[in-house]
Amino acid sequence: MEPSPLERLAQACGQEFKHLMAARETTARGLEARRAKITELSVQPDVSVVLMGSWGREEVTSGSDDDYMILVNGAWRPEHEVDPSIEEVAKVLDVKPGREGLFGEIAYSDFLEKRIGLQEDDNNNLSRRMLLLLESQAILGEQSYRLAWKKVLDGYLRDTRKPRGAPRLLLNDIVRYWRTICVDFAGKQRKRRGEGWGIRNAKLRTSRKMLFAGGLLPVLECAPLTPEEILAFLEHRLRMPPTDRLAQSFLDAGAHDEGGRTLGAYDEFIGLLDSESFRKALEALTRDNAAASEEFAEAHRLGGRIQSGLLALLFETDTLPPLVREYAIF
Amino acid sequence: MSSTLTADRRMLLAHHPIGASTGYMQALRGDWPALVAQAVELSPFAVELSVLSESEVQGLERYLEAEPALPFRYLSIHGPSKGRTMAERDLVASLLGLAARADAIVMHPDTIESPEAFLALAHTLVLENMDAGKSDGCNVEQLARSFAALPHAGFCFDIAHAWSLDPSMGLAAELLDAFRSRLRHVHVSSLSPELHHIPLTEDDEELFMPLLERCLDVPWILEAPPREI
Repeated sequence: MEPSPLERLAQACGQEFKHLMAARETTARGLEARRAKITELSVQPDVSVVLMGSWGREEVTSGSDDDYMILVNGAWRPEHEVDPSIEEVAKVLDVKPGREGLFGEIAYSDFLEKRIGLQEDDNNNLSRRMLLLLESQAILGEQSYRLAWKKVLDGYLRDTRKPRGAPRLLLNDIVRYWRTICVDFAGKQRKRRGEGWGIRNAKLRTSRKMLFAGGLLPVLECAPLTPEEILAFLEHRLRMPPTDRLAQSFLDAGAHDEGGRTLGAYDEFIGLLDSESFRKALEALTRDNAAASEEFAEAHRLGGRIQSGLLALLFETDTLPPLVREYAIF
Repeated sequence: MSSTLTADRRMLLAHHPIGASTGYMQALRGDWPALVAQAVELSPFAVELSVLSESEVQGLERYLEAEPALPFRYLSIHGPSKGRTMAERDLVASLLGLAARADAIVMHPDTIESPEAFLALAHTLVLENMDAGKSDGCNVEQLARSFAALPHAGFCFDIAHAWSLDPSMGLAAELLDAFRSRLRHVHVSSLSPELHHIPLTEDDEELFMPLLERCLDVPWILEAPPREI
């Protein structure tokens, strides 16, 4: 099998990303187990069950949740007409829905694809669309999932008029999603009175930032392509886990050492996240007591390195800075 | 157009973040507010507060204890490399106090007598490669010994020090190959024949740039003022 971009970067920079590689293996084993269990459910041809978050990023660790949605490839229909049901899937996966009602729900590809922007594109619709595009894996109804995924991507690209250039609608939505996450972080802080502040802050500095960059870079890299080439390029690139997308961007930019340090810092964070005591320490932290926490200091340190590496890639390599200037600000 | 852009990008001062070492501001030595003010003029993003002599440590401690509002995103402190009289464990205790306000504490590996005393500095400790005037901490083998004893320590790549030992820059490349995953920041300057840091010359900038381009994600600290343009 051809080595992944992450493996090729590891070779180029003389580093091993052992925690990320272990997380990929854990993800693969977990997906296999869940796919084997969930096949007992009957599924309609236009329905899929999709895992998101660390499953989509192939970064499953011991503390990862089974965040899922039931995805209907098409228009809305009553919940009782969708097979499998939320209850059936929740029972098989042994999970509860998320607090914001984002997970453990039915999503309709027509809403995700056709409601881009304006009032109907609420926070949940935007988040589901981005999670689907950037960090998702089907465990049931793979074909239906693929069709819905491509339909959502097409939703961004089909009105393209220019012969070449980065797809601005998708670019703007990816940037909007990242900024929404950042603003919602503050909103959750107020709503939950600081509960869970430490772990959310740590993930914002690391996993969320990696996901944003892993969406932004492929879209910027579309700039020299024709609309037909863009579709094929994004279908290929966005199906990779974000760490592969980023590793590929570092490789393409010739920034092997910088890529090694950036992915190395993230690898270290994933290794720490696999430790229950590290997670518990961060989960217990509030903004007020974070400064005294060694665990938070570690997350802060690693987050800083990740950001420095990503900024160097975007602003100091040969090909990307003109694209950032052309597309990423206005 | 593209060649102009490339040339601009390659200029030292185009890097972000760049920062000043207060070590070259000799006229202001001991006056920390004035040293910081001058460093900010070069860059408010990164700085190295230099206490090359042990006698300067207390002054910096007092300055930082007052919790001055500093703008820097990256703050390094260069630990003493001369005038050492303090017991090593007392020095480390002082550095630990300073480390609470710093991202990095830079030490010359040849000045460390008992590495175990420095283990407490963990990731904050950064070891710098030495110049041709030193007999330890200069090459891959010597530094590897130091890093083996201090496994969490980062690497401060002093490109001019490496040049002093091998003007072909072969050693510099070897050091980066060996310790690139530990790299935390870079010291940039040229060296006088007496191995004193002097402003980076145009020739050295051209010679150093291929290696500096392997260090785009870390601060570059100028150990001498930028040359007049």
